Amino acid sequence: MLKTKNLHKYFGELEVLKGITTEIKKGEVVAIIGASGSGKSTFLRCLNLLEEPTKGEVIFEGQNLTTKDDKNFNINKVREHIGMVFQHFNLFPNMTVLENITLAPIKVKGLNKQEAEAKGVELLKKVGLEEKKNVYPSTLSGGQKQRVAIARALAMEPDVMLFDEPTSALDPEMVKEVLLVIKDLANSGMTTVIVTHEMGFAKEVATRVMFIDDGIVLEEGTPDQVFNHPKEQRTKDFLDKVMY
Amino acid sequence: MLVLANIKFDFGSMVPYLSWFWDGTVLTVGISFVTVVLGCLIGFVATLARRSRFKALNWLSTAYTQIIRGTPLLLQVYLWTLGFPQIGVKIPDMFGIARSGLLVTVIIALAINSGAYISEIFRSGLNAVDVGQSEAARSLGLNSRQTMRYVILPQAVKTILPALGNEFIMMIKESSMVSTVGVADVMYQQKIIQGATYRVFEPLIIIAIIYFILTTLLTSVLSVLERRLNKDAKD
Repeated sequence: MLKTKNLHKYFGELEVLKGITTEIKKGEVVAIIGASGSGKSTFLRCLNLLEEPTKGEVIFEGQNLTTKDDKNFNINKVREHIGMVFQHFNLFPNMTVLENITLAPIKVKGLNKQEAEAKGVELLKKVGLEEKKNVYPSTLSGGQKQRVAIARALAMEPDVMLFDEPTSALDPEMVKEVLLVIKDLANSGMTTVIVTHEMGFAKEVATRVMFIDDGIVLEEGTPDQVFNHPKEQRTKDFLDKVMY
Repeated sequence: MLVLANIKFDFGSMVPYLSWFWDGTVLTVGISFVTVVLGCLIGFVATLARRSRFKALNWLSTAYTQIIRGTPLLLQVYLWTLGFPQIGVKIPDMFGIARSGLLVTVIIALAINSGAYISEIFRSGLNAVDVGQSEAARSLGLNSRQTMRYVILPQAVKTILPALGNEFIMMIKESSMVSTVGVADVMYQQKIIQGATYRVFEPLIIIAIIYFILTTLLTSVLSVLERRLNKDAKD
């Protein structure tokens, strides 16, 4: 479904991604773990080209996103199918919760307002926030904001969901409500890629764990393989530091 | 030594000239308003150029704002009204109205000046919107134009509008520069009345009051607008 070939990314002189080749298959739940600055968020952001790779290819459903030759190629069309949830929610503060969710379906997909709102309310029910549909994001807690952000991404009916440290900016008591929503989603068969520091969550929900270290995928495998029987010393060191 | 006993105010001598003050005030407000409107257009184009992917346009826009902001307004007014005509760049009088060419010329000078400041207002207003906002919008499939229209601009307006209001207030005061080249704004009228009455203090005080009333009125209108804006788009 989503493939990368020899992905490189430089920020100025700094090489953040040093050649990542991988494939994410339909229905997979891939947890990306690694230290801060290892390039895991950059890698995720390359998947929908929020970050433009310096070298290498990103291929979504057989379509090369990094092509420079095809003048008709439209990244916006592709992004409709790739949902993304950010660490800092990035809800639109000038819109109500429901308007946040219906903006893209109306403006991009061309749904009429009633359809979009019906769908939006349904999604809000799913994340347990139906009663908040007419409030502004500023009145919500962090956990509620992130659940709205998930509903907003789902409103476009994406084929894959990308989560960029979705719980890192939350107060501890709000982490669970967000993880439960993501877990439900993953269990329902949504192809999911999640950058996370929640090792317990990765262990429980992921079908594959990818350890990114210094811009490369140093080790990957099932949660059992990576967490319980890591092969690489760097993986062991990292897990030693974060698990207790 | 300060001798107050000899001072005699004679505001009564100003009464016959009230309509002159009024005419000047109308022109001052008119010039300022038209300048800010044109300045917005120029500033908008300069901002687009600054954000364009064409390097030449970036450069042109940066050079424009730097030059305008790096030289005195009075110099710019002189250049347009006295300098350029000497090398053949001159706007003729229109519709048979005497000095209308001059009026248009000073408005151009002021608008080009104001445009540079306004483009900075636009630029900083747009930059003040968190980059995560456009990332979220783009990740949903909105194109750059939709992102600007539905997400960035509505948020940027909140910082842009008050600053634009300040620019208008500044322009009310700064437009007094045009009196030096013979445009009959309120500052110019004051000089004429001085000549006619041999009184200096009174006309100065009167136009000071006029300027003060204009700017105070504008300030209060702006703060009402600002409050309403914050209520509509609370965050």
